[in-house]
Amino acid sequence: MHDSSRSHDLGELSLDKLVACHECDLLMLKPELAPSERAECPRCGFELFSYQPHMLGRSLALVIAALLLYVPANFLPILQLRLLGQTTEDTVWSAVAALYESDLQGIAVVVFLCSMGIPLLKLLCQLVVLLSIRWDVGRGYGLLLYRIYHHLREWGMLEVYFMGILVSIVKLLSLADLAVGTGLACFICLLLVQVWLEITMSPHQVWEALSRGRAHASH
Amino acid sequence: MRAIDAGILVCPECHQLNRREENHDGLQCVRCGARVHARHPNSLGRTWALLLTAAILYIPANLLPIMTVSALGKGEPDTIMSGVVALVQMGSLPVALVVFVASILVPTFKLVGIALLLISVQRHQALSARQRILMFRFIEWIGRWSMLDIFVIATLVAVVNFGTLARVEPNLGAVAFATVVILTMLAATTFDPRLIWDNTESDDDHE
Ligand SMILES: [Zn+2]
Ligand SMILES: [Zn+2]
Repeated sequence: MHDSSRSHDLGELSLDKLVACHECDLLMLKPELAPSERAECPRCGFELFSYQPHMLGRSLALVIAALLLYVPANFLPILQLRLLGQTTEDTVWSAVAALYESDLQGIAVVVFLCSMGIPLLKLLCQLVVLLSIRWDVGRGYGLLLYRIYHHLREWGMLEVYFMGILVSIVKLLSLADLAVGTGLACFICLLLVQVWLEITMSPHQVWEALSRGRAHASH
Repeated sequence: MRAIDAGILVCPECHQLNRREENHDGLQCVRCGARVHARHPNSLGRTWALLLTAAILYIPANLLPIMTVSALGKGEPDTIMSGVVALVQMGSLPVALVVFVASILVPTFKLVGIALLLISVQRHQALSARQRILMFRFIEWIGRWSMLDIFVIATLVAVVNFGTLARVEPNLGAVAFATVVILTMLAATTFDPRLIWDNTESDDDHE
């Protein structure tokens, strides 16, 4: 790897033999990867790309699992609180609704986007991208949606929300009679499936697959 | 050798390499169609603007109450700090520590950290490139975790809802706090990490 950055005629080589680090702009020869291997930038340590075997099938299965979990995770009760004979329930959706009824609608919108809106959009983008690769249709839309997905990526905050639920549980335990609901189990499953999906759906492979299709179409 | 020196631009979205055309700073990525620049245009200026706005809002975010917990008609406003203190008094130290780190330490560290990155890039000094990239990655990764308190408020508002008996209401401090988190996250995305390496070719260079 070090030799490749030493040679001064890298710029003369064909672009598909090269790779550049996205974070530090180091130009080097593209390494060949075996399944499950990953390449890192020798200068700054950024992951250049990884190669996941059976990426398409595994990712599709995970996206569908995540979409199935999405509804129960957001609409089944996560917490139940009992106080002097009254019972209240908390779902991800009811939290958004309750915030909206207070006078701070802005917060409701932020919570809705980070916990429900953007996670759903991300999954739908991933689903369409994977289907467009599998069926070889609409690669142009696939590219566009995959770009949108990358812009949305860090704004979906399921894991932070989960931590927020845990902190709330600690805060409420001393106050009243608290029970966790089935929604929490679904939420945790959704979170795990989503993390697994992000590892499996290697961006480099998706971009390659999307562009390969377009090259076919234009010839 | 940097890609920019070889006349190659890296697409910011799909990381495809594109050859620079004569007299063109910006072009469209051949693969995904995104606009490609050698470096994010006006990265330092935009990052400074977002950072300063966040720094100003940081004050009301910490001073104003983020929520009011009322029981039997008596309301008690909570700021971010008093929420942490309450957790300590309840004896749940680990949780108090998590909330303290996410809500107080991380936002402060981000404001200072991004400012340090900007200054060291502009002055070509202070930290080594490796230290700076580690700091940048940490800031980029940790940013979203500061939303923790907002989600706690959301959960409490929904579940502690017993009319006059007991209820929780969100307050203006929460809006300021959420805005600070969003602005610092945006500042981390407008900052172009390649600038860190641009003026430190001698440091970690392999040539
Ligand atoms: Zn690098
Ligand atoms: Zn591109």
